[in-house]
Amino acid sequence: MEDEDNEEQTLQKKHQLMLERLSARHQTRLETRKPDPSDSSTTSAFLSRFNDSKKSIAAKIESSTDPSRLPDISAAISDLEKFVAENSYLLPSYEIRSSLKTISDLKQSLENLTSQLIPKKKFSFKKSKPTKTQIPQPDTVSVPEKTTSYPIRDSPGFRHKQNQVLVQNFKGSEIGEFTISDLDSCEVKLIGCVNALFLNRLKNCKIYAGPVVGSILMEEVEDCVFVLASHQIRIHFAKRSDFYLRVRSRPIIEDSDGVRFANYCLKYEGIEEDLAVARLDEETGNWANVDDFKWLRAVQSPNWSILPAEERVGDVDLANLR
Amino acid sequence: MGLLSIIRKIKKKEKEMRILMVGLDNSGKTTIVLKINGEDTSVISPTLGFNIKTITYQKYTLNIWDVGGQRTIRSYWRNYFEQTDGLVWVVDSSDLRRLDDCKMELDNLLKEERLSGASLLIFANKQDIKGALTPTEIAKVLNLEAMDKTRHWKIAGCSAYTGEGLLEGFDWLVQDIASRIYMLD
Repeated sequence: MEDEDNEEQTLQKKHQLMLERLSARHQTRLETRKPDPSDSSTTSAFLSRFNDSKKSIAAKIESSTDPSRLPDISAAISDLEKFVAENSYLLPSYEIRSSLKTISDLKQSLENLTSQLIPKKKFSFKKSKPTKTQIPQPDTVSVPEKTTSYPIRDSPGFRHKQNQVLVQNFKGSEIGEFTISDLDSCEVKLIGCVNALFLNRLKNCKIYAGPVVGSILMEEVEDCVFVLASHQIRIHFAKRSDFYLRVRSRPIIEDSDGVRFANYCLKYEGIEEDLAVARLDEETGNWANVDDFKWLRAVQSPNWSILPAEERVGDVDLANLR
Repeated sequence: MGLLSIIRKIKKKEKEMRILMVGLDNSGKTTIVLKINGEDTSVISPTLGFNIKTITYQKYTLNIWDVGGQRTIRSYWRNYFEQTDGLVWVVDSSDLRRLDDCKMELDNLLKEERLSGASLLIFANKQDIKGALTPTEIAKVLNLEAMDKTRHWKIAGCSAYTGEGLLEGFDWLVQDIASRIYMLD
């Protein structure tokens, strides 16, 4: 009995010593890695300095009525961002994330203020790629597809069509990636598996597709209905569109609004085998787990919603269409 | 003793390398990292924020920072530039339409002073997809030959889906970094 107690005690002692050694090592590591001995090198000092700047910027944003002060505020936010960046190596990842979140909130409120004070700026919101303005670009002219320094072949696909029904069967084809772009009021039926699907600039279209083994990437679509299955899906610049999805991972939207989601509902002869081949034969429920990259908050994003059951189209059987 | 020599000493002791994975969204960054670490790659959601993986590779410890590529969060990339030893730029070789975007973002990245010493590995990913551009074609589109002569770089074709080419790419990267930092080896 005593022996056991003793053993336990030594064990505990050892454990205690180990913890001490570890914490001492952690401390020396932190100290040796200090980029400079200024007061910003510890987390708490960082946080207090960060919070001071944040408060001062927030106050400026709140009290500003003069558009000429906007560049100052913007510069202050950049400084703060730089400050976080400089300290990112030392900070716990939670602090980095929450600081970055604060900065993005500040940017957002500055943007709101800017649009209030300078109403003209509102137009830039409607442009298809508003976020590009944040990045300093050497070439301000948007480059059309064909002007690359090196000629690129086109991928297979449907392009520049109006009021048509377009059908593609991938069964037995050599097609790996497929592009659907610049369609107006078309109906597209894709049968069989494909590796990657790109959808761009679609208006008032209905797109029905069998399983995509890899990912779907979508930009600039409006007033469309999509019935899609894939491993990943990324939706950019979408407006007023309905998505019937089956996805293995979480769908994401970015710069989109008025988009609604429901579960996959496509039928055609042999779809079950295709879904099994693509490992999409099981409903994952992920169609409802949408991440909105323009709404990084805990509350529901206003940009997307679940499509009410009574408004859903029901099963779509390609054999019965038209 | 300067800061740089302190860092060198610490790194030498731990044989640690910091590697930053960047590239447009949908290029396969997370899939590459998980695949190389032998993890399941069948369920990967687009990265909201970043992932950090510590991988023991040969005799080195790689700290791999995998940062999300969505347009909204690209402006945060620069928060991860400090102390980067190796830069991995991942290209979706099947995304012919956004190669210009890809080139522009890479050019911007390479202007960054804090990354000027980092070895650059370009992964021409998704080589398993029919119709994908070859690494040679990607190199031409990105105009890699015109890069600053002091930069150590290499382009490698790969498929994160099958795993092909990943080890070759990382082998080069790790060797290149090691030969710069750990001269004695």
